[in-house]
Amino acid sequence: MNQNRTQALEVNDPFGKASTGKLGMWLFIIIDGLSFAGLIIAGVALRASSEYWPMAGEVLNIPLTAFNTFLLICTSFTMVIALNCIQKGDQSGLKRFLGLTMIGGMIFLGIQTYEYSHFIKVGFFPSTSIYAAIFYITTCFHGLHVLSGVIYIACILRMASLNAYSADNWDHVEILGLFWHFVDLVWILVFTIIYLI
Amino acid sequence: MDYHKTIYIKNAVYLAVLTILEVGVSYLDISKTGQIGVLLSLAVIKMLLVAMIYMHLRYETKTLKWILFLPILAGLYFAFGVIYDLPFRWVV
Repeated sequence: MNQNRTQALEVNDPFGKASTGKLGMWLFIIIDGLSFAGLIIAGVALRASSEYWPMAGEVLNIPLTAFNTFLLICTSFTMVIALNCIQKGDQSGLKRFLGLTMIGGMIFLGIQTYEYSHFIKVGFFPSTSIYAAIFYITTCFHGLHVLSGVIYIACILRMASLNAYSADNWDHVEILGLFWHFVDLVWILVFTIIYLI
Repeated sequence: MDYHKTIYIKNAVYLAVLTILEVGVSYLDISKTGQIGVLLSLAVIKMLLVAMIYMHLRYETKTLKWILFLPILAGLYFAFGVIYDLPFRWVV
């Protein structure tokens, strides 16, 4: 009786085989995405009502940030390969690619810090103009997400070093991957709107 | 090499090429409206590639896809509302 009931639930489940943890992460992504949308919409509205707005590349360093964007894309790739490895039971592959993803995230943060330090040296503070305020608030909010992601990867990497994951148990790695790819996905929009347009 | 790895590698290459294209377009001397249209289109394509391939959204059920898609419409609605309101905001 119970077995039949379980089968019926699996067939009719509107979320397929997605675990509750994964659904929770998707819900978090929706809410977090709307937070970013709020910042970006506010930025666009302030820009539209502003008389002067610098051209792309006039203040911000596009080549350096394009490299950072490329780096984040590479970390998305290493993250998905890490998941692919553990789905096949490859423990060392999981650790290697998670480690590479974490290093990529740290380099991204390092470059962003370098960019901020350069701007502060030349007197480009958040209080300098509305443009500066939008730039710092949006990129800093994203940077905090990258930092959270790096800490999150470190936690999962610690669990992986204890061989907590296997070919039958990789849900945590998939959920971490969703968060990390979301951070990459948001950066694509932030890079386009803040740096290129 | 297995099928999934090949797709992931191809996706990374597409994303890198689209990023280079985006940077190139930002330096082009074309109309601002056209430039914004091209840049936003490229960004949407890149975001879809990340969501569909890396986040495995294409394997999820229709219900989950709809739940994720509807807030995007809400975001666009708010964006439209704010931007539509701009010309009237500073009128005293």
